[in-house]
Amino acid sequence: MDYEALKEQWSEIEDRDGVRLSWNTFPSSRIEATRLVVPIGALYTPLKEKETPPLQYEPVSCKAPCRAVLNPFCQVDMRARLWICPFCLQRNGLPPHYKDISQDQIPPELHPTNTTIEYRLARPAPSPPIFLFVLDTCQEEDSLKALKDSVIMSLQLLPPYALVGLITYGTMTQVHEIGYTECPKSYVFRGSKDYGAKQVQEMLGLATPGMARPNIAPQPGQIRAPMGPAARFLLPVQQCEFQLTNALEQLQRDPWPVANDKRALRCTGVALSVAVGLLESSFQNSGGRVMLFTGGPCTEGPGMVVSPELREAIRSHHDIDRDNIKHYKRALKFYDNLAKRTAHNGHIIDIFAGCLDQVGLLEMKGLANSTGGHMILTDSFTSSMYKQSFARVFDRDANDNLLMGFNASLEVITTKELKVTGLIGHAVSMNKKSASVGETECGIGNTCSWKMCGIDPAASYGIFFEIASQVAANQMQQGPQKGMVQFLTYYQHSSGQYHLRVTTVARNLSGPSGDPAIAQSFDQEAAAVLMSRIAVFKAEVDDGPDVLRWVDRMLIRLCSRFAEYRKDDPSSFRLEKNFTLYPQFMFHLRRSQFLQVFNNSPDETAFYRHVLNHEDVNNSLIMMQPTLDSYGFDHEGSQAVLLDSTSIQPETVLLLDTFFHILIFHGETMAEWRKAGYQDQEGYENFSTLLEAPKEDAKELIQDRFPLPRFIVCDAGGSQARFLLSKLNPSTTHTTGTYGVSQNAQTIFTDDVSLQTFMDHLMKLAVSGTG
Amino acid sequence: AGVGQAGVGYPAPQEPLSAQMSQMNLGPQPVPPPQMAPQMQAPQPQGLMNQLYPSDLLQTPFSVHELDLPPPPINLPPNTSVTPSLFANCPPKYVRSTLNTVPTNSSLLKKSKLPFALVIQPYTSLHDAEDPVPIVPDQVISRCRRCRTYINSFVTFLDQGHRWRCNMCNLTNDVPQAFDWDATQQKAVDRWQRPELNYSVVEFVAPQEYMVRAPQPLVYLFLFDVSYAAVTNGLLATSARCILESLDRIPNADRRTKVGFIAVDSSLHYFSIPRDDAENGEPRMLVVSDLDEPFLPTPEDLVTNLSECRGNIEKFLEKLQSMFQETQNGYSAMGSALRAGHRLISNTGGKIVVLTSSLPNIGYGKLEMREDKKLLGTSKEGSLLQTANSFYKSFAVECSKVQVSIDMFLFSAQYQDVATLSNLPRYTGGQTYFYPGWNAARPEDAIKFAREFSDYLSSEIGLEAVLRVRATTGLRMSYFYGNFFNRSSDLCAFPAFPRDQAYVVEVAIDETINKPYVCLQAAVLHTTCNGERRIRVLTLALPTTENLSAVYASADQSAITAYFSHKAVERALSSGTENARDALQAKVVEILQTYRKELAGGNMGGGGLQLPANLRALPVLFLGLMKNVGLRKSAQIPSDLRSAALCLLSTLPIPLMLQHIYPRMYSLHDMPDNAGTPDPDSGEMVLPPPVNLSSERLANYGLYLIDDGQTQFLWVGSQAVPALIDDVFGLEDKTQLKQGKTQLPVLENEFNERVRAVVEKSADARSKGVGSIVVPPLYVVREDGEPSLKLWAQTLLVEDRADQGVSLMQWMGLLREKVVQ
Ligand SMILES: [Zn+2]
Ligand SMILES: [Zn+2]
Repeated sequence: MDYEALKEQWSEIEDRDGVRLSWNTFPSSRIEATRLVVPIGALYTPLKEKETPPLQYEPVSCKAPCRAVLNPFCQVDMRARLWICPFCLQRNGLPPHYKDISQDQIPPELHPTNTTIEYRLARPAPSPPIFLFVLDTCQEEDSLKALKDSVIMSLQLLPPYALVGLITYGTMTQVHEIGYTECPKSYVFRGSKDYGAKQVQEMLGLATPGMARPNIAPQPGQIRAPMGPAARFLLPVQQCEFQLTNALEQLQRDPWPVANDKRALRCTGVALSVAVGLLESSFQNSGGRVMLFTGGPCTEGPGMVVSPELREAIRSHHDIDRDNIKHYKRALKFYDNLAKRTAHNGHIIDIFAGCLDQVGLLEMKGLANSTGGHMILTDSFTSSMYKQSFARVFDRDANDNLLMGFNASLEVITTKELKVTGLIGHAVSMNKKSASVGETECGIGNTCSWKMCGIDPAASYGIFFEIASQVAANQMQQGPQKGMVQFLTYYQHSSGQYHLRVTTVARNLSGPSGDPAIAQSFDQEAAAVLMSRIAVFKAEVDDGPDVLRWVDRMLIRLCSRFAEYRKDDPSSFRLEKNFTLYPQFMFHLRRSQFLQVFNNSPDETAFYRHVLNHEDVNNSLIMMQPTLDSYGFDHEGSQAVLLDSTSIQPETVLLLDTFFHILIFHGETMAEWRKAGYQDQEGYENFSTLLEAPKEDAKELIQDRFPLPRFIVCDAGGSQARFLLSKLNPSTTHTTGTYGVSQNAQTIFTDDVSLQTFMDHLMKLAVSGTG
Repeated sequence: AGVGQAGVGYPAPQEPLSAQMSQMNLGPQPVPPPQMAPQMQAPQPQGLMNQLYPSDLLQTPFSVHELDLPPPPINLPPNTSVTPSLFANCPPKYVRSTLNTVPTNSSLLKKSKLPFALVIQPYTSLHDAEDPVPIVPDQVISRCRRCRTYINSFVTFLDQGHRWRCNMCNLTNDVPQAFDWDATQQKAVDRWQRPELNYSVVEFVAPQEYMVRAPQPLVYLFLFDVSYAAVTNGLLATSARCILESLDRIPNADRRTKVGFIAVDSSLHYFSIPRDDAENGEPRMLVVSDLDEPFLPTPEDLVTNLSECRGNIEKFLEKLQSMFQETQNGYSAMGSALRAGHRLISNTGGKIVVLTSSLPNIGYGKLEMREDKKLLGTSKEGSLLQTANSFYKSFAVECSKVQVSIDMFLFSAQYQDVATLSNLPRYTGGQTYFYPGWNAARPEDAIKFAREFSDYLSSEIGLEAVLRVRATTGLRMSYFYGNFFNRSSDLCAFPAFPRDQAYVVEVAIDETINKPYVCLQAAVLHTTCNGERRIRVLTLALPTTENLSAVYASADQSAITAYFSHKAVERALSSGTENARDALQAKVVEILQTYRKELAGGNMGGGGLQLPANLRALPVLFLGLMKNVGLRKSAQIPSDLRSAALCLLSTLPIPLMLQHIYPRMYSLHDMPDNAGTPDPDSGEMVLPPPVNLSSERLANYGLYLIDDGQTQFLWVGSQAVPALIDDVFGLEDKTQLKQGKTQLPVLENEFNERVRAVVEKSADARSKGVGSIVVPPLYVVREDGEPSLKLWAQTLLVEDRADQGVSLMQWMGLLREKVVQ
């Protein structure tokens, strides 16, 4: 099969199963596996939207401890009504209602194309989905107003049965008792104090038995309200919409005075801790999301990221590098603990930041990363970027259900040849040991099960494997052996039932050593994305330069291993078609904001990495290596061009998509013409059309994008053009400027090496065998 | 009427009663000088020293009418005052001295065994309009440069009136120019018309120098108990309703009055009440459950202007009761709430009004249920009367420093530790109001509290006040009794100055006095509830003597009893009631002995127990004091009840204090025709003559009112005729009578009307010359009915033998024994 056909096949599989593998043939021995350089991994999108409705019955599972689910790769003895589990090889009986099974009449889960199938389980969720809004009141009137409006609007987007609650914070934290109708009522927590979960519950009066009046025994046979006392704070939208809207409308700016040389006191940490405590008390393991809206950094109490003194600046990457950080470690520890608790409870924390400056996302990132929450970084709550991104959180599917799952967990079962070494994505370990758990660790390892809490149709997880067999499997059996993996994703569907999504992946095991099928099965796109996840995972703990060296070393080793060349002759270096783009991906990854932090604030870095860890292969590739399209008179519509400074031409318009930014760039001449207003003059309709085309395409791109990208329109020489220039391969930099030629628009001020230089080095090193 | 009556020399007891009574309204009516104030009573006759009228206590038994006699007159030498004003000396209504003739040296005082003390009652009504005093409005305040005495009618003008000599320290001071010249009107002022030279009780409007800061507004911060107990007994609802209906009565002439509210259970519920014209103007509840270090949940609107937020305050009060109607909370974090309240109003100062039905059992100042029935009546009972938690005293002192005063309204059906809680009012110029077992479901309870609380809110209290008493050189204020904080040796601090309390100041004679009279001047610097800084000055002049008989002849038995009431309370709190009773008995014996030895020449006379006529009631008043709930020997009195009674004994003005220890009893079935009808001259309701408190006086067919000022009993004799029952209660038969707390029905017959008039008049504090909010509840007691109720009423019959107390006859016998031996 040629590369294009393979690509086609992988794409089909991705559409069906939401899975892309770095290697589509599994090596049959551990030695072989280690020589692959790029680990065996899958980028899996469990809730990838499917056309087919879920099955309305319980899945048939293998005996404990295996619990693998019946799938198309199982051998089924129709007559004996038995099936053999491919993972543990145990025989299982089919349940009685499968009695009519026959070759012509097989249940959907056995149909060969149904490698991914979803069950709607009989187990209902303990409560409807919960949305707890946590709003910052230390804001300017207009942004607070915009924020209030957006939250009020979102009530219309929620299912009427969803439970909602409101917490506001500034100098102090207030939990609004929206179930109370006599007057607006809220519980106030000091902003400077670290309240334990138990304290929060007691102070909200949730620990009912303790609050009962003394000397009065509980009535025998008294039935506790199904929701418990927390129902005072969290009520169905349909019941409390008026109260909640009223509470939001009445919301005022934090009333405490702020001195000129001070920041407002903002107790984000306490607010979150109280929110988590509230859900923890009565809603453990029922789906819910804490939606934090913050207009600035935490300056008070636990989780403080910068002191209220204005003369103290918030930490930069530079400060962190020099260990010049007063609050960083304590804040990080505080938020990480909170994240752990939240994840343990099965809840989600979303962070919506509306602030020109940093808000402490770096310190708070664990909250979203560990709980499958969203992280939206915008300049202000008045921006359309915030408003549209926020609204998109509540997108619905064709059945009008919210496109989000709650309290999700993922379990991986493998056949004996494969072991799972870890997961990189928004999840935490559930510390579950099984026969499928490998010895080494890549990402969050030593477990076969992870809790994601929040999950959505785009959420993608990098899952890594190792080969268990010391030697190649014997080839006595007929035909190629298959290695198999089953992904079991349990989650609370927004309709209120639990669902189980089962994806079973089977791939050939390679033949004896040196099987060329392995190299041919390399999916360079998936591989690049999986490697980017590992690199970012490493970057969170290691020094930047170390990670870059690791990326380089891995690339060189991969090329040494899979390129064709004569030793020490760079000019002889050739890569197979399915490897050729890989070095370029790595080149751009090295230069990307994911690994180069110094042009970004720590908050931005946290944000970019968060999004990278959430997206599928295609989106991740755009982030690593943005797409660039050119529009000119010489061709119809757009034309993909190299992400290179040479693509900047006076008579073209460029459309850059970095995933986070969508940028339209007018070449020098185009800009002049536009400024002269030719597009409005008769006879220049073609120019007008040309100006419109990239805008139309940009609109198209923005359509499905989450978070909403920043949209920039700029001209050659304009200050905004830097966004474009920073992404382009510096093939013409000031250091390579030709003698006598003055610097022009396409000269890029950078010390980065160009792609060409990079490739030259790569080939030299790869062929030298020193990788 | 009756107190300080002009022209009434101290009558011998032999004088027919009718003669005394008939004199009551016959004093020469003074010609009113300018700015005549109604409370200014009568001039003093001048010249003669008081005569000693010896009397035999056993041969001529005590008659209750003696209690209505005025104190011995103050006979100053002629021309003692600079103006001929009849009001130059302080009426006894404001200041009473235990001795109306002062010994010139301490050894004579010591020999007399009588105390020298002033009982000061700066205010005699809840509202200025009911008893106004002359005001010096021009801010010209002339004071002695050395001793800071305010110029008064007992100074001497020298040097053609350009200078004045201080009547306390003799320093010569300049008379300020403005004293005779009105700068604003540009005209001369007649100095001799100035109120401070004509009246002994005046109020100066203070200039800027008398303010440390701008006068504070009146601030009321209400702390509501919203625990299960306070919601179910209706306290919350009644309080809220009552405040709502009394908003117009709260003094607010300057429209600066502020109010705030905190509701308390195991959490503190603050209420943010925005101005009526504010956007989003809705009262909000902010709950703080973190009791560790109470903090304010918002900097705004927790204490709000009554005028600007009136609509929202009403809205809030209307809703308040329903806000907590579902509560199951059994906790009260009142200590924490108090700290929060302190924090909330410490920058202005003000009044914290605590309305609670619970023992503070969580948070700061948490208290334990420590009442133990086994301890009652034993020597260990004293510990229950002491403070259980030092928080309450130290916090009260903290409050005093920032001008915060606390009043406690206590309503528990169970132990509430009044002993400890009463520290808060004690040191902050407040008061403890006790309503044991109160329940709004009983209309009598609800009405009583609502009326009292409404009057309380209407009271024109002073703020940021200090009291200082100055006196002629040689005299020194040595000890102070009452609810305030003694900030320095002679300065008493009152964050709020009430209008229903009296204070006792003991005077020491440090040097021999060689003047015919001495002066004492009490000054209350305060801010009125309308934001004016003022000084109320009361100046008293007393003649001096080297003669013990003159001392005895002018001793004021009521003031002496008031003084010993404070001493007894102090003793009871420090070492128990038994010690307090013993000390009282020892004291009365000592006085009797002294009189017998020094003045009666050891004369056994008839019975051998003698006192001058003006002190005849002393033994019976001491007996009444010893039998008061606060001090009585008994194993049945819950310590809360005792503590509350002790609070009363140490704060009540003299007329109420006397009534509290020797209650009033009126025979109603045979009352004179004019009783219960208005006096044709004064318009005042006429009361029947009082009856001695002895069951011998109770006819079994009779109807009696027994009233100790806090509680009224309507005693129905066992043989009361149906006609009487029908007339008074509208019932055919006394078995239908509702016993216990009740109200008299309004019936269409004259007798019912008169009985009601008497019951009401008896409870009217204003006519007694005191301010008081108390509306005594009325209990109907049948002689042949509910035994415990009957027993309770009988404890008021001071002359009877009851429980573990002696009868008056036994008491006199006992005293005779001690005195004669
Ligand atoms: Zn199995
Ligand atoms: Zn003087």
